Amino acid sequence: MQKKWTGFFSVLMLFVFIVPVYAAAPLAVVETNVNKVLDVLRDPKLKAPAAKDAKTQRLRVIYKGMFNEVEFSRRTLGRNWNQFTPAQRAEFIELFEQVLEKAYLDKILSYTNEKIEYTREILHSDKQAEVQTKVVTSSQEIPIFYRLIFADGSWRVYDVVVENVSLVQNYRTQFNDILAKNNPEHLLQILRKRVKEQ
Amino acid sequence: MNISGRLSLAKYLAVAVMMTIFFVAVGVHASPPAAESSELKIVLVSSEAAKADAGKKSVLDEDYVEDDEYYDDEAAQKAKIADPIEPFNRVMYHFNDKLYFWVLKPAAQGYKFVVPEVGRVSVRNFFSNLRTPTRFVSCLLQADFNGAATEAGRFAINTIWGIGGLLDPSSGQELNLKKQDTDLGQTLGFYGVGHGFYIVWPIFGPSSPRDSADIVGDYFLYPVSYLDPFYVPWCVRAYEEVNSTSLRIGDYESLKDAAIDPYIAIRDAYAQYRANKVKQRKMKFESFWGGQTKKENVEKQD
Repeated sequence: MQKKWTGFFSVLMLFVFIVPVYAAAPLAVVETNVNKVLDVLRDPKLKAPAAKDAKTQRLRVIYKGMFNEVEFSRRTLGRNWNQFTPAQRAEFIELFEQVLEKAYLDKILSYTNEKIEYTREILHSDKQAEVQTKVVTSSQEIPIFYRLIFADGSWRVYDVVVENVSLVQNYRTQFNDILAKNNPEHLLQILRKRVKEQ
Repeated sequence: MNISGRLSLAKYLAVAVMMTIFFVAVGVHASPPAAESSELKIVLVSSEAAKADAGKKSVLDEDYVEDDEYYDDEAAQKAKIADPIEPFNRVMYHFNDKLYFWVLKPAAQGYKFVVPEVGRVSVRNFFSNLRTPTRFVSCLLQADFNGAATEAGRFAINTIWGIGGLLDPSSGQELNLKKQDTDLGQTLGFYGVGHGFYIVWPIFGPSSPRDSADIVGDYFLYPVSYLDPFYVPWCVRAYEEVNSTSLRIGDYESLKDAAIDPYIAIRDAYAQYRANKVKQRKMKFESFWGGQTKKENVEKQD
């Protein structure tokens, strides 16, 4: 009788340890980072319009840890990445990050207590995963999927899919169109101008 | 308890402890630093940043290799759309853009100011309920009988208990009958019909020959089209558009502002969106009928 129970408990103990540690990794990364963002947005001390810079500063720290910006840029350029020199690649990553920050910052700052549901985590391989979430507002539900890659010992986001539209792919189509007729320097020129005027 | 009993107990415990240690080791190895406590992280931040910097430099020198493992590259190929009449489309894009900023948006803003959100959501539900025939027929054509039944049930429940469709009690937690997000364009896509090419219609916006068939089919399946006299359907549609726009003011603007070339960005977003919708419908069909045939086989074997 006792033998049976010890067997049972040892198996139970295994489950206790395996499940949360092994399977929840990419989802945990997304959830902790999104929660950090929400904490900043909900912070009553930062509610004043004057605190926008402080808020931006804090959000920047969070997204730098959450995103794999090199992977993001590399996939966005796709095959065109190979036409860029390492120096141009570094500049592109820098500029593209600023373009994205300016484009999406106001959208994120306009957040007003929407609910976020974490629906699913899919492991495509030991290096690729997708975390599916849903933003529920008073009038609609917006599916937002995060694609993550495991590199340098951590899971980080390299693509965001909003309502079935992948950001990386969307920018890739645009950059492909520009780079089909022009050289990398021309694209950098466009991005530099873009960052300056905003 | 005898000696052999104690021995086996010790054996079990030893195995349990060993396996636990093994799995914890595996787990810790695979789990990211983010899962650790935040205090620990602060200490690690500086060294991690240095490591990341070093990593960045080496990655910058690496070439981009087309990799079959990258499932999204494959998806990207499928979601492309040809654009042979780009000059015409660009003109239409600018026309629609002006139409939005000069007419639709001001109207929607004024309307939004007057009607509270609850009212506007109810109006949207009402029109959505009237569009049940399109979704019902599309589900049937895709052999999605489950979806067709859901749509029929939703129509009955929402019309009777939802005050003529103003409310949507069916999609609540108790009934959980969710709207089947499908249309005739998706049905054609479901049967393997491709987009053809990209067309931007004035007023209707991004489309393709395939999805234009949807605009026509939807006209016949939408009860509003049969109202008399001839101009009433168009007024109703215009109101419907103002109402739905009032619920998503800012979406188009942010999409446009984030883009380097807004025309291309919208074309790509349209292609991706439609491709993924069709893919989801195919997956639903396979999971339903695939599961069904397996079940039948098992039953036959029994």
